[in-house]
Amino acid sequence: MDMVLIPLFLAIALGVGLYARVIPQGNGGWWRFAAATVALAVAARLAGHGWAAVLLASAAEFLAVAMVWSGGTAEARAAARKYLTAVALATLCGWTALALIQLGAVRPAAPWDRLAVALLLVSVALKLGLVPVYFWLPAVARASSAMTTALIVAVVDVGAFCELLALRDIAPWLFTDFAPLWIGLAVLSLLGAALLALAQRELKPMLAFSSIDDMGYLLLGLVAGGTDGMAGAWFGILGHAMGKIVLFGAVGAAEWHLGRALTLDDRGLSTPLPVASAAFMLGALGFIGIPPTLGFVGHWRLYLAGAELGGPLLLAVLYASSAMALLCYVRAIHRVWLGPVEAPVVGRSLPRAAALVLLAFAIAPVLFGLAPNGLRPASEPHPHVAALPTESAGGVK
Amino acid sequence: MTSITLPILLLLGGFVLQLLLARLLTPVGKGVLATAAVFASFLATLPLVPAAMAGIAMEAPLLPVWDGPFSLGLRIDGLSVLFMLMGTGIGAAILLFSVRYMEHEEQGTTRFYAIMLVFIAGLLLLASAADMLGAYMAWEVIGLCSYSLVGFWYRQRAATDGARKVLVITHLAGYGFLIGLVLVYSRAGTLVWTDPAVGSAFTSGVAALFIVAAMAKSVMFPLHTWIPEAMNAPTPVSALLHSACYVKAGVYLIARMYVIGDGQWQVALEVPLLAVGCVTILVGVIFAMAQTDLKRLLAFHTVSQLGYIVVGLALGTDLGLAAGLFYCLSHALFKGTLFMCAGAIQHATGTRDLRDLGGIATAMPGTAKVWIVAAASIAGVPLTNGFVAKWLLFGAALDKGLLIVVLVGWIGSILTAFSFLKATVNAFYGVPSKAMLGRPVHEASPSMLAGMGSMAGLCLLFGLAPQLLMVPVVAPAVRSLGFDWAVQMSWLGILTDRGSIAMTVGGVVVLASAMLGLLVYRLAQAPAPGLVSVYSGGEPLPAGDRPGAVDFAEMAEHAFHPVYSLDPDPGYLRIWRGLTSVAGAAQTAARMVFEDRPLLAIGLAAVAALAGVWLV
Repeated sequence: MDMVLIPLFLAIALGVGLYARVIPQGNGGWWRFAAATVALAVAARLAGHGWAAVLLASAAEFLAVAMVWSGGTAEARAAARKYLTAVALATLCGWTALALIQLGAVRPAAPWDRLAVALLLVSVALKLGLVPVYFWLPAVARASSAMTTALIVAVVDVGAFCELLALRDIAPWLFTDFAPLWIGLAVLSLLGAALLALAQRELKPMLAFSSIDDMGYLLLGLVAGGTDGMAGAWFGILGHAMGKIVLFGAVGAAEWHLGRALTLDDRGLSTPLPVASAAFMLGALGFIGIPPTLGFVGHWRLYLAGAELGGPLLLAVLYASSAMALLCYVRAIHRVWLGPVEAPVVGRSLPRAAALVLLAFAIAPVLFGLAPNGLRPASEPHPHVAALPTESAGGVK
Repeated sequence: MTSITLPILLLLGGFVLQLLLARLLTPVGKGVLATAAVFASFLATLPLVPAAMAGIAMEAPLLPVWDGPFSLGLRIDGLSVLFMLMGTGIGAAILLFSVRYMEHEEQGTTRFYAIMLVFIAGLLLLASAADMLGAYMAWEVIGLCSYSLVGFWYRQRAATDGARKVLVITHLAGYGFLIGLVLVYSRAGTLVWTDPAVGSAFTSGVAALFIVAAMAKSVMFPLHTWIPEAMNAPTPVSALLHSACYVKAGVYLIARMYVIGDGQWQVALEVPLLAVGCVTILVGVIFAMAQTDLKRLLAFHTVSQLGYIVVGLALGTDLGLAAGLFYCLSHALFKGTLFMCAGAIQHATGTRDLRDLGGIATAMPGTAKVWIVAAASIAGVPLTNGFVAKWLLFGAALDKGLLIVVLVGWIGSILTAFSFLKATVNAFYGVPSKAMLGRPVHEASPSMLAGMGSMAGLCLLFGLAPQLLMVPVVAPAVRSLGFDWAVQMSWLGILTDRGSIAMTVGGVVVLASAMLGLLVYRLAQAPAPGLVSVYSGGEPLPAGDRPGAVDFAEMAEHAFHPVYSLDPDPGYLRIWRGLTSVAGAAQTAARMVFEDRPLLAIGLAAVAALAGVWLV
């Protein structure tokens, strides 16, 4: 049993539930779809690696679409349609690819192996919203409540990425033999999303693009494989999940306070919302990868993986992306949260339960950053992996 | 093991107590608690000195199990002890000063003292980390603390702008450290400073990356522009971070690099590093001369003084390193004192603008005396530690035949003296400005005077008897970097094999002469001091008139006009604007192609994937 992700998903469900009780995120339908999404994601983790898990994870994705749809507005329905397009095509491509490779147990003869990889690439890009098929994620972020997007990014996408991690163990050839394609996809997402995040005025789409940027990082670690790449991807995805709950939660709190979408034109929100402000800052620092957060534990390993995979050139790409992420988050912190209040708003204050949730998810990455071994997966390697020669499960050099 | 980790644990214990007792303690109580924790840490550091003097490196685990094969361990040698003593000793004096300085803060004192304690603990960890990864983590932790402390008054635009600049410049350059250590690990498989494998992996390119990170932390030109903006922090922050400790992190890193591969990197990077140091000396002091804000003036002098320190380290000789490290400690003492004096002035008068000050020596005689000692020290007046530091530095440069370095240092010293003459006269002497008329000015509180006075006293002590610092602290630090230093020291002062500075004897003679002169002056019943005409280099000014802070700043701007165009900030701004323009253009294009036409995006991705798998 997955003793890290399942407790994490349950903690996220608890946190989001508490938060949504005091800061409404949607109607009764939203609650049902949100609960079902998390339940199916947990069930997929419980099911291990197999068709049952694939089916459950896909079902969770379709329920996430319904969660977006439940927003009720025309914008929400439009976003849900985009998301549905992505999920449906991703499912189709993903299932076909998995069927061709029999869930990673075999490598089909050419050209079917190549077709499987192409389908898997498209499926992964669509599911995680990678550049250039990211169209659904910013739309969902703009149209949905903060915690809707947070659940998609921190549970549905994280589940999908962890399935990919399992596949990396089981069928390393998918990644090692086609590494340039995966690296290209990762670099495109790293740089493209970081640049697009800088162009956003609204904070929720900015956070969505930042997620895509981070997924690019994690994908690099996954492709690199080996101890550093896999550990980097693992710790990185855990930091990603916790960080996104905090960041979207803080933005949601600000929107609750203001009664409208939060943009870079807002000022001085740390005065009415000090806890949300502190949480956003901690979450952002973790996301940028500053020690001693869990984000650093993942990021420095991913830098190592980048050095092994692409040498100084890839390190330069990682640096450029990190620099843009830093500038993006620091601008948000200093324009929206810190500084004087320029136009005082008599808004609603942050409820205590929401504050507790934000603080818990903001502090946890710092504590786990100091003791990351507590988050290492305890599960045995997949039987298929155990049978593989050692070098074939290693990293790309 | 306990004795090695104790200094850090005491600070972390103080941090925890600050949080636990936040609701029980008054601001003064929190200050006393923080001071006690840092002072206890200082006392716990002292027993490490004998081992460092004996050349023993002490090792202990801090986090034995951290991330897989990586652990966080300590390895304390002479260099570590030097920085630990500096951080805890000066930290204790500055926190003592803070007790009264921060007592009227309505909120945030727990945050202030807690972060100050974590900052000092971070500095100790940086200095004692056994490997590069631990050092990098400490490097970023103190960076975060600096960010939080500079933005302490987070509702003020100036404070948050300063904090943003600190974070952006130091963190972006700090990636050089991270990328460098990643390259080392990928080649050597270890990050332990002293591992021979690290030596062979530590190329001059990696060293250059480390130095870029160090330049930003240690305010080297052109990465220095964050420090004047950071002056909107509470004064104890400026005193501790921007004089004593934070800006010394880069100095530490450069010094520590000498243990790697016998310092082979220095051969390739000596000239660029010397050039950066020399330019920084001049740019810093010339910008300082144009300032009328007392703390900004001190900030630019920090830039200039750090240039001297880096020049000493860049020389790569035993005497050069000794000069750099002695200068590092001396600068912490005199600049910390000057910042505290500036804080005391602001506390007492409500302003730190030299145009609004004047004649406060009457109301603040103790502060004036302390200021004068520290100002003399930074200007390099004999009998102060600043003089010894410069003497050693010039000697080291002359040893290598680098007359140009001596010339730059000499010009920098003269301009520093001018700048402090301006500041001293405008703040403390003459007639009070119109802004000061009718405003009650009070002397700093006893604890504030004790904090800054103790450090000024050490400036004199180490100026008169530098061997007290050289023998137990600086020499072991130099030896820990792999230099077999031939310097000899005795109660006469410093005796090097290149010449001698009989500082103690000379100091006693000069002090005796001064005392004799004072005695004669008193016995002769000299007339009471009064206003006299001032010779300003042209026509004599009327009695009572004097060149003011604005006159001096304008004079400097006129004389050094081309230098002020060397401000790198407009360049940084252009980069930022360019980046946001590119981002805007990318957003427009991406929206048209990918967001508004999702099927086109999917189609393109599918074609690219299919083409790719057949091409790979």
